[in-house]
Amino acid sequence: MNSKTEIQTQFEEMAKAYTEKTGVEVEVYNADTDTTVASQVATRYASNDPYTITMVDAKDIYALADEYAYDLSNEDWASHTKLGITVNGKLAGFPFCVEARGLIYNAEAIEKITGEEFKPENYATLDAFKGLLDQLKAGGMEQPTAILSEYWSLGAHYFAEVYEQQKDPDAFVNGLLGGTEDLDNNAKFNELMDTFDVLKEYNYMKGSAANADREESSMKLAAGDVAFMFGGNWDWSVIKEYDHSDKMGIMPVPENTSDSTNTTLVGGGTKYLFVDASDNTSDEQRKAALDFLNWLVSDADGNAFLTESCALVPAFDQVTADALDPLSTSVKEYADAGLIATYDFLPDDHMTVVGQEIMQKYLDDAMSRAEMAAAVEEYFKSATPIKH
Amino acid sequence: MKTNSLGYKVRQYLLFAGVTTFLFVAVVIVPFFYGLYLTFTRYDGVSTSKPFVGLDNYIAAFGDTDYWVSLGRTFVFSAIAVVLVNLFAFVLAYMVTTGIRGQNFFRAGFFIPNLIGGIVLGYVWKFVFNKALVQLSDMIGSGHAKSLLATPTGAMAALIIVSVWQYAGYMMLIYVAGFMSVSEDVIEAAKIDGCTGTQSIIHISIPLMTASFVQCLFLTITRCFMVYDVNFSLTGGDPYGDSVLAAMHVYNTAFQDKKFGLGQAEALILFVVCAIVGGLQVYVGKKAEVQA
Repeated sequence: MNSKTEIQTQFEEMAKAYTEKTGVEVEVYNADTDTTVASQVATRYASNDPYTITMVDAKDIYALADEYAYDLSNEDWASHTKLGITVNGKLAGFPFCVEARGLIYNAEAIEKITGEEFKPENYATLDAFKGLLDQLKAGGMEQPTAILSEYWSLGAHYFAEVYEQQKDPDAFVNGLLGGTEDLDNNAKFNELMDTFDVLKEYNYMKGSAANADREESSMKLAAGDVAFMFGGNWDWSVIKEYDHSDKMGIMPVPENTSDSTNTTLVGGGTKYLFVDASDNTSDEQRKAALDFLNWLVSDADGNAFLTESCALVPAFDQVTADALDPLSTSVKEYADAGLIATYDFLPDDHMTVVGQEIMQKYLDDAMSRAEMAAAVEEYFKSATPIKH
Repeated sequence: MKTNSLGYKVRQYLLFAGVTTFLFVAVVIVPFFYGLYLTFTRYDGVSTSKPFVGLDNYIAAFGDTDYWVSLGRTFVFSAIAVVLVNLFAFVLAYMVTTGIRGQNFFRAGFFIPNLIGGIVLGYVWKFVFNKALVQLSDMIGSGHAKSLLATPTGAMAALIIVSVWQYAGYMMLIYVAGFMSVSEDVIEAAKIDGCTGTQSIIHISIPLMTASFVQCLFLTITRCFMVYDVNFSLTGGDPYGDSVLAAMHVYNTAFQDKKFGLGQAEALILFVVCAIVGGLQVYVGKKAEVQA
């Protein structure tokens, strides 16, 4: 089952071609848009009819691995990636792609106003970044930034960096769960929120930030009406649908900070495939599934499917990826230098509580920073930790 | 053949109602009791083990303030939506039974929103609220207008508007049937006795249509309490999670937070509340029914 809905069409086309070539019947199921992936997987397991290969998020792998995932550690590709997920000695998750988040920029639009080449590394600090925004504003781009108002973007992507940029994210989250962390006085929290305040200040939807629509924001960025949008390389699939500049890329979120977090993107393997190990999948099906995973990594067609038609950054060192889109090229450059790892063990309701109930209010100026810090601390006191 | 033996009766029953009984048991009774069983377990949805936890889930459900807030919201939403849906439906039904030109066309037209699925309806209206109406008010007024969906009360109002639009046409059909069932004779007799149009509606048609009211109220109440699809696609709980209705909260608890036991317990409470309100309404309504 495919849970990356933006590559649904590519997946179906690939399945057809794959069947023609190998004779192996591939049926692609897509994640429903009106339910969660976990619930869909749950339904299939409850009816003893699981998918042979299932694409889930990293967190789901930890939950599912013990009972349902087949051990992949003997596969040829296993030694070519550092991003596979091993649970209790069993390599359970095949990293489908590398994704990273940061600030997407439209260099062409910026250069048109500044008249000089845009080098993201020159704007790593918030002060420098704000200077650039003012320059853009003076040059006629009234509101140069866009912030998506969707709770997953606010909660699971932006706010998550507060944990991920800590020296020891696990200890920090455990501290929050134990009620011992003081978020309001936490350096990373404040540095990231200082930047968020600036993004808010220059937001093209300022005043009705909650109405920001993902399609419209992406379109404005593509056209150069805004210069920056917080997001990730997955946003290319939306941007490319519009008349877009090719001089785009992703840069780390600027911060006035003393650590190096403003020079590195946050990311890692996202979307993992696992092969069902239960008796409901026949050995023959399992063999075909393993062949398919190998095909993705070591066959030229498989590589092309990943890097060209799906425009994904591969998680394997021997996969050629010359034809990537601008955002993925950025990600690959930063990834080769090392990424800040994503933190996969936030409680399940973190995204809705922190993203929707808290960050949306902060985005709308309906909540102060101190209130936000208190609300997040309060949330963690009653949150259910994820076993890992 | 003996027709009053037990064996004969059982065979007769199976012959006529066997298949439906089986289906009913398979898709309603069994899931209901399985759900009941889940409320006593801690289950994440995929695990093979379901540890028994007794009444923990019910205790947690009663302590889940978010749930009670969403249930309260559902009450407010339902109260307003039920009144408006039935008011609109009744007025529409009256208009399309008065013999105006093209009344069949209007009947079909008002019914159509009900044929569009809730999910699609939600997305369509989201566009209307966020884009069309905002553009329109930008053109008329000065400054950038905020969409109705951007404020908590606005989002609730939007949910009510869309629900009214969705259900009024359906309920209209039931009221149309009600109007048609009132015999011409009584109306004519009332007219001869000097009844005005309004008087004959209030004193003749409405009392004779009580059955339609009972039916429509029951349908709208249960649907409003259980609404999920429009809630999901129109607001998704935005802004700030302040438009999450009870069914959506239950869904999020079970499937997003992976607390199936707690979610089931909360669903059961919602079911009981809904059954009490619906049952009470039918009981009161039936008592008010009159025969011509």
